[in-house]
Formats: sequence, structure tokens, C-alpha cells
Amino acid sequence: PCVDRLLLSDLCDVKMDGLAQDILSDLVEDACLGLCFEVHRAVKQGYFFLDDTDQESMRDFEIVDQPGLDVFGQVYNQWKNKECVCPNCSRSIAASRFAPHLEKCLGMGRNSSRIANRRIVTGNNTNNKSESDQEDNDDVNDNDWSYGAEKKGDVVMLLYFFNLFVVTLNIRLYQMKFTIT
Amino acid sequence: MSKESRMKATINQKLTEMGERERLKELLRAKLTECGWKDQMKAHCKEVIKEKGLEHVTVEDLMVEITPKGRALVPDSVKKELLHRIRAFLAQHAT
Repeated sequence: PCVDRLLLSDLCDVKMDGLAQDILSDLVEDACLGLCFEVHRAVKQGYFFLDDTDQESMRDFEIVDQPGLDVFGQVYNQWKNKECVCPNCSRSIAASRFAPHLEKCLGMGRNSSRIANRRIVTGNNTNNKSESDQEDNDDVNDNDWSYGAEKKGDVVMLLYFFNLFVVTLNIRLYQMKFTIT
Repeated sequence: MSKESRMKATINQKLTEMGERERLKELLRAKLTECGWKDQMKAHCKEVIKEKGLEHVTVEDLMVEITPKGRALVPDSVKKELLHRIRAFLAQHAT
């Protein structure tokens, strides 16, 4: 009775220990295999013996820490205000303004259609030359709503997002119907 | 299949399915790095590679050379900790 039950649980413990040892053994082997893969890759990619480089060569590649230079010792803001020629309108633009200019010039940015629409509406009233110089500052005026001018592009965007919202809502409701049943 | 090996298979499956095997792997890896085992083994690898030649060494070569030493060099404290966790899992999930 009691004695038998004790022996049985001891036997169980021994078996459990054996099982635990087996599991540990598998895990250790897995760790070894992982290491082998890591080492093998490092060898084949050529970086395994990298930290054995001689002192002198190490000094050649030391991190540079000087103002105006990046960690490789190269000057990094050399081209910040260089002028670029736009391939579309052939104007000379400062490098830091080049990306926004290109967006509007090619009609491909987020707001390019909106701004183009606005320009179509107000283009008859303003001098064309002075307008194009303000091109880069258009985003500053984005918050001004003039109730007179028709923002066709904005309405289209609004309808689009509203539609998206409605569709998403419908999908969610549809999914919910399935989970409840 | 004996009752024992059936139980072993069930436990192994549970270990994997419940994500415990992955957690144990991560724990072991962390502990082995912490205690310097990984660095020791890497140094041993360097010798093996210098012997076999950089161009010709295979994963199998490394496994054969590394595994026995790797097993022997796992510190007792690490073994104890892992076994403790494994036994806890077994106590909970082995019926």
C-alpha cells in the first residue's frame, strides 16, 4: 500500500530526471550546432579572424572623432548647399531644397495635385513669375482655408478616406459576425 | 511504442508547441555566452580551422570537433538552472 506508492513515485522521479537530462542534452547539442553555423559562416564570409588583426592595421581604421568629419574621416556637409540643375525645368536649385522642388516640378509628391489645383484657380489673378518662386514655401500656406477658392483635390481626398473608413468598418462588422456565431 | 517513449514524444511536442523549447534555447544561449563558454569554444574553433585549412572546413568538421568539448565545458551552474526549469515544466505538464 503506502510503501508501494512511494516506490512508484520514486521510479517516476527517476524517469523524469532521465527525461530532463535528455532534453538538456538536446538543447546543448542545439547550442553547439548554432555556434558551428555561426563560425562556419564567419569563416566563409571572411570575417572570422578579423579581431586578430595586427595593431598597426587596426590604427588605420580607428574611428575618427573630429568636428565636420564623419567616422570615416570624410567631410559630410560638403554638398549641402551646392546647386543642382532640375532635369525637368532646368532651373538651378539648392541641394537642400532639391527634393521638395522635384516633387512639385514632376507632379509626384503628396500635395502636388492640391497645389496644382490651387494654382489653376488663382493663376489668372497673380503674376506667374513671382508665384513660381514661392513654390517651395507652399506648404506654409497649407493651413489657410480660403472659402472662396474651390479645393476640388481636397474634397476628392476626403471622399477617398471616408470611403476607406466605411469599407474597413464593414469588414470589421463582417468579421465580428463570424466570431459571434 | 512503449508508454515511456510515447510520453517522451508528447512532452517534446508540448515543449515546442507552448514555446518553452524556444525560451529554453534562448536562456541556454544567453547563459553560455555570459559564462564565457562561447568564447572558449570560438578559440577552440580557431585551432580546428587552422588545422583543417580555411578553405576546406565544413560545418560537419566543426560539429565533430566542437560537440564533445562543448558538452564537457557547460558549467554545472548552467546545467542546474536549465534542469530546474525543465523539471518544473515536466511537473506541470507530464501526467
